[in-house]
Amino acid sequence: MSGPVPSLDRLPGDPRYWYAGLAVLLVAWPLLFGAFWARIGLGALMWIGLAQSWNMIGGYAGYLDFGHGAYFGIGAFAAGIAMAQFGYPFLVGFGLAIVVSSIVSYLVAVPTLRLTGAYFAIATWAFAESIKQTALVTGITGGTFGLSLPRSPDTFVGVPVPFAISETFFYYAMLVLCLATMALTYYLFERHEFGYRVKALRDDQDAAESLGIDTTRVKRQVYVLSCVVAAVFGSVHAWYIVYIHPNDVLAPIITDRMVIMALLGGLGTLTGPVAGGLLVFLLERLSSVFLGSTTFYLPLIGVLIMVTVLFAPSGIIGILRGEVDRDDVRKNVKELGEKFDLL
Amino acid sequence: MVDIGLFTQIVINGLLLGGIYITIGVGFSLAFGVLEVVDFAVGEYVMVGAFMGAVLAPVFGAEGIFVIPIVLVVFFLAGSLIQPLIHHVTTGDRPHPLLMGLVFTFGLATFLRGSVLTIFGPNNQDVPSSLLTGGVTVPGVGTFPVVRTVTAVFGVTGLLVFMYYLYRTRGGMAIRAIAEDRTNARLMGININRYQSIAYGAYAALTGSAGVFIGMIFTANPGMGLQYTAFAFFMVVLAGMGYLPGVILAGIVLGLTQSFTAVYISGNLVLLVLFAIIYVVLLVSPAGILGKGEWAT
Repeated sequence: MSGPVPSLDRLPGDPRYWYAGLAVLLVAWPLLFGAFWARIGLGALMWIGLAQSWNMIGGYAGYLDFGHGAYFGIGAFAAGIAMAQFGYPFLVGFGLAIVVSSIVSYLVAVPTLRLTGAYFAIATWAFAESIKQTALVTGITGGTFGLSLPRSPDTFVGVPVPFAISETFFYYAMLVLCLATMALTYYLFERHEFGYRVKALRDDQDAAESLGIDTTRVKRQVYVLSCVVAAVFGSVHAWYIVYIHPNDVLAPIITDRMVIMALLGGLGTLTGPVAGGLLVFLLERLSSVFLGSTTFYLPLIGVLIMVTVLFAPSGIIGILRGEVDRDDVRKNVKELGEKFDLL
Repeated sequence: MVDIGLFTQIVINGLLLGGIYITIGVGFSLAFGVLEVVDFAVGEYVMVGAFMGAVLAPVFGAEGIFVIPIVLVVFFLAGSLIQPLIHHVTTGDRPHPLLMGLVFTFGLATFLRGSVLTIFGPNNQDVPSSLLTGGVTVPGVGTFPVVRTVTAVFGVTGLLVFMYYLYRTRGGMAIRAIAEDRTNARLMGININRYQSIAYGAYAALTGSAGVFIGMIFTANPGMGLQYTAFAFFMVVLAGMGYLPGVILAGIVLGLTQSFTAVYISGNLVLLVLFAIIYVVLLVSPAGILGKGEWAT
């Protein structure tokens, strides 16, 4: 393994110039390309952040959370209820999203983290679905009518701010959140002792336990952390999108996207969700623009996942890092062929 | 006041529905036992089965039940060809083989759901059946809707045939041997590829044809699959991992829970109730309601 961002380190020249160039591009993006591309950029940043939040529990801890989208929705509704029902500024909603999502995720973590693998996956999925159904029938969430959030200049901190709450503003908000998520992931999972504990329990829970790691505690910590990150993005998204409805912000497709992005990029790697997030987000946009179908990317992504798992289990990052080369694929194809010896 | 007539009617509907859920649950736990893969695509097989019913039934004089033999054959062949892929991703020198198996079936599920959604759009489609309409009223008990009764009979028959094959034939013995110990079974000269494919194919065929019936009872929708995946997992958790008789009880509990929730609470809240039940079962009795399965881990 070569450093935190291997794909950049492998480029020719001093990597510092590449990092500097990337930083300039990210900051100047909405100023250079205008509102439309700011919108595309903020979408990509949000999905990278969400994919990374899923990667914490799904990739680093090895617990496939198929209900992660629920926390995106919980964050969105926490902000939405605070702003639309009680007239609080956004920052209060933001704080509420963090508090509510940490409480809910802890309560869910206690029984469901007893499960592993598919049973954990399906229990969390059922949880997400039940949250959606609940949101559809309760009054405070607006039920089937949804909620409209105010977006005047005084809704940020309570007093009017001197800048417009525009696409550009949300681009920078998402940029800050996405970079913060990346930095947090890098520090906690790649550098801090916490990351080693998490990976140890993923690779062998009994061995980790025997070394004195309180696996139950660590699992709950990772789960709550990843859920809070998703909720934070949800709250900003709600304010950005202005109108939220349970069928939109609690849709199962949100979880699916996060899972697919992290998987395609490479599970349990810092840069995997970035690569996967960009690829899936762009595929989705391109398929709706060029093919006129908003769903065609789904079967495409399904095939991509299957091919990735079959021939390159470490994802795009694995290929970029050179962990999977042509010989591996050839060997894989040969072994696969032998398994078709059915008669 | 609880209306006794309504109450028995709900029990009848729930029991009949449970018959078809058992078929799905048993196939699902067999696939788990033999292939050691928890199949995320199970609900999508139900969905694709229902859509095959919706598409092919008009060809056969608007009679969904005539589609069943075709569905059985198509799903058996498709399942036999999917199995080697799953076997490949769960074996060999790759990190986290079990996780990879799960991810692979998730990809398969996404592919199936996305394809049907793209081809047929998001709307409900009916699976027509003119033979299976109306109901037989038993005085003092309630009405047995024909379509649900036939479905339950099919489910139980399918289950019995499946069990007969599994416990009374050489092929079934081979499959049970593989479930017990794959390496040893191979050493005994069993072609594990073939028998795993038969097991997975049979499971896919049963699940797909259950889908046609479910389509006839309710309707076919591209998004319906996830619900049945959840049902399959629910049954296995409730039954206790790897305990087949428990699946039968769990299927009945599921059918009853669904019809009671739909009538007395709300059809939309079925999953919420199921999640609450799973929550309690896992906290109180992780080895299933009969306490005879392996611990749910």
